[in-house]
Formats: sequence, structure tokens, C-alpha cells
Amino acid sequence: MPPVSTPAVVLHAFPYGETSKIVRLLTLEHGVQSAIAKGARRPNSKFGACLQLLSEGTAQLYLKPTRELQTLAEFDVIVQRPELARDVDRYAAGAALAELVMRFSPAEPHPEIYQLVVAELDHLATVAKEELDAAALGALWGTVCALGFAPNIGVCARDGAELPGGTVAFSVADGGFLCRRCARGTATSKLTASDRQVLERLITGRRAEIGSLSPRHAAAHRRLLARFVERHVADGRELRALDFWQGHS
Amino acid sequence: MSAIEELIGEFAKLPGIGRKTATRLTYFLLKQPGDAARRLADAVHGIADRVRPCSVCGNLGEVDPCAICADPRRDTSVICVVEEASDIGAIERTGEYRGLYHVLGGHLSPLDGVGPDDLRIEGLRVRLENGTTIREIIVATNPSMEGEVTATYVRGVVERPGVRVTRIALGLPVGGDLEYADSVTIARALAARREMAT
Ligand SMILES: [Zn+2]
Ligand SMILES: [Zn+2]
Repeated sequence: MPPVSTPAVVLHAFPYGETSKIVRLLTLEHGVQSAIAKGARRPNSKFGACLQLLSEGTAQLYLKPTRELQTLAEFDVIVQRPELARDVDRYAAGAALAELVMRFSPAEPHPEIYQLVVAELDHLATVAKEELDAAALGALWGTVCALGFAPNIGVCARDGAELPGGTVAFSVADGGFLCRRCARGTATSKLTASDRQVLERLITGRRAEIGSLSPRHAAAHRRLLARFVERHVADGRELRALDFWQGHS
Repeated sequence: MSAIEELIGEFAKLPGIGRKTATRLTYFLLKQPGDAARRLADAVHGIADRVRPCSVCGNLGEVDPCAICADPRRDTSVICVVEEASDIGAIERTGEYRGLYHVLGGHLSPLDGVGPDDLRIEGLRVRLENGTTIREIIVATNPSMEGEVTATYVRGVVERPGVRVTRIALGLPVGGDLEYADSVTIARALAARREMAT
């Protein structure tokens, strides 16, 4: 059987054996796939330096649906993103994005997630430093929503009641904003009117309207996102790259 | 578990060795004349008992500080920062470098849970603070995304007036691990090292 050819992004790559690598690829047409790239760590390998984290290209894959580990025949790199490695914060955000997709993408192909990841990686690589916090938060909230875990921000997450204007309570456990009645006696994060607006913009993809966040606000938003993801997406399982991003940035 | 099974199991844990090869190696040893198996066991014992990381630079050897740190002919004004102790051998083989080393013990990898605290970065900062003669830090982490971001992080930690921070000229297009690169390539990459942009 000939290999299939598909656009792909390298989400993770780690050494295997003496000279090979195992890569986790987000492909446009075949979802997330694990594949072995034989001999990829030799300096004269046909893979050269192509299989770098977060680079994008065309993968030739020998796919067998019954196998967990596929074989990567070739990878023609189209975009590498060395800018991400020149700034630890950009890199941390890219790795957290890769982790979310790698761990929680549905098995079936999901072209929207592919397009989103590619666009967000480009944005993370090039966005002005003062807008990086908003860019990273927007990329991760956007991915959470695309994966089907959007928080409830339109009406009360518990009983569907109308939400108050201005300051509002966000309940990680309930997965969104709560009305005043439900918020009573519940552990919530109080969001001021401006923080609420920022969160609404992050979730609805209007982060261009946010601009730069103060370090304190950015940290609070990172914590909120990390707690939400741990609870609703990861089911309490450890997310190392997300932790790194949350703690380091 | 039988002694044979035990050895097969241990061999199979080594990089690049599967169950099949492990079995072959084990039976090969069993067929060897004399004390071949015992000599192998002694050699393994030797590295387990005598080899340890240098408390200054992290290089592996039988003395502490290591032979390089203790050598008075080495240029103490330059420290070359590498990911693994095995990279030192690759650079030493070029015969072009006379400075000291610092082994990080890996690279930053958020996806694998490796953060700055898991690397020997603090030790590097301490060396810089105590070593008034240090004028240059050469960052020779691998030419990979992980190696680059680690270099970026290290630069942030070691930057200070009077210290040049340079990066070897093995760009991403080269690829491969440093330890696989040949001496000529490494010597060239060292000679063409550039100041890291801030
Ligand atoms: Zn309610
Ligand atoms: Zn030493």
C-alpha cells in the first residue's frame, strides 16, 4: 500500500532507540497520529532537521488503522517556527496548545482544529510581546471551545437564569458564569466587569479587542483557564505543558 | 525469575535494544569461553560504583572535580554549556576548544515535564557569580527547537555586564544531535559562533 500524503504539524517528538524519533502529528486528513521516523536523529537523515516541534509540512505516512504506531516515510517541511524558541513564553504557549490538541483531539479528522492550530502557532510566533499574554490565552480558549468544552457565559451555567451585568462569579465546577442566587455559597472566582469582558472576548475569538493585559490580570486569567481545563477537559489528569505555561509565563 | 530472564530484561531496557536483541546478547554471553560475562559484570559495576558527576560542571568521571575542571591548562574564562555529558566528548574530539564545560543534564521540554528546575541551570549561575574571570559563555545545546529554547533560557540567566553569551553556529537546518555531528562540523560551528540576540 502506498503512503498517504497529508498536511501535518509536529506536536511532539522524542528520541526512540538509538537513532530514531517518535512523532505525534496533527494531520489535516487523519486526525492525530503517532509515527516512527526511522533514523531521524542521524545528521545525514532524510528527515534532516524537519521534524522539529511545532513545524508544519507534508507527511507521507504508511497508515494502518489497526496499528497504534504508524511509519513516517517522509516529511517535507513547509514552515518552521524558530521564533517560538527564541522566547520561552511563546514556546510555553505553543507547547501547551500542542498538548491540548494531542491529548484531547477526537480520533476522527478535524480540519477546523488543524486550521486553528496552524493559525494560532503563526500568531504566537509573530505577535508583539505586549500582546503575547492575550494571544496565548485566546489560542488556548479557542482550542478548548473547538474541542467542544466551551464554558457557559451567556446564561447561568447551573440553572440558565439571566446573568447580572458588571461583576460576575465564574464557577470552575459549574463550567461558567453563575447568577447571583446560584453563586451564593459556591466557590467561585469573582470577575470584575473588565475581567469579564476580557474573558468573553477570549472565548468568543475577539481577542484583537483586548490589547495588552497587566501581568497580574494575565496571571489570574492563566490560572482560571488552567483550572477550567484540568476540571472539564483533562478530568483531573496532569497536563505538564499547561502547568509549565501557567507557572512560567 | 531465572538468571537468564533477568539479564534479558535488563538488556531490553537499554536504548535501541528490543527483546529479540536482548535474548541474542544473553545467549551470546552464555556461549563465551572463560570469564567474559564476569568481565562485563565488573565493567558495569565499575561505572555504577566509580563514575559520578563532577560537582562543578556535571561532566561524568571517576574524580571530582573532573579531569577537565582540574586541568590548570584549561582556559577558565570560557564555559561551554552542553545538554549531556556525552556532548563533551564530541567537542573534545575537535581539539579546538580549551575552555571549561557545564552540563545541563537535558533540555527544557514542557511536554515532558522538564522545566528549568530539572536542569543544572542554577549551578551555572552560581559558577558565574563566583568566577570573576569568566568572560564568555558558549551555549552549545542541540540544534533543535528544545535546544534553542533552552539556549534562550540560559542566556536570560547568565546575561550580565562583561560576559559575552554566544551560540554555536549549528542552526536548525543542520539538525541531528550534537553527539552525532562530526568533528569538522563541530569545530566549524564553534569557530563561527555568534553573539546571542537579546
Ligand atoms: Zn443560577
Ligand atoms: Zn568538571
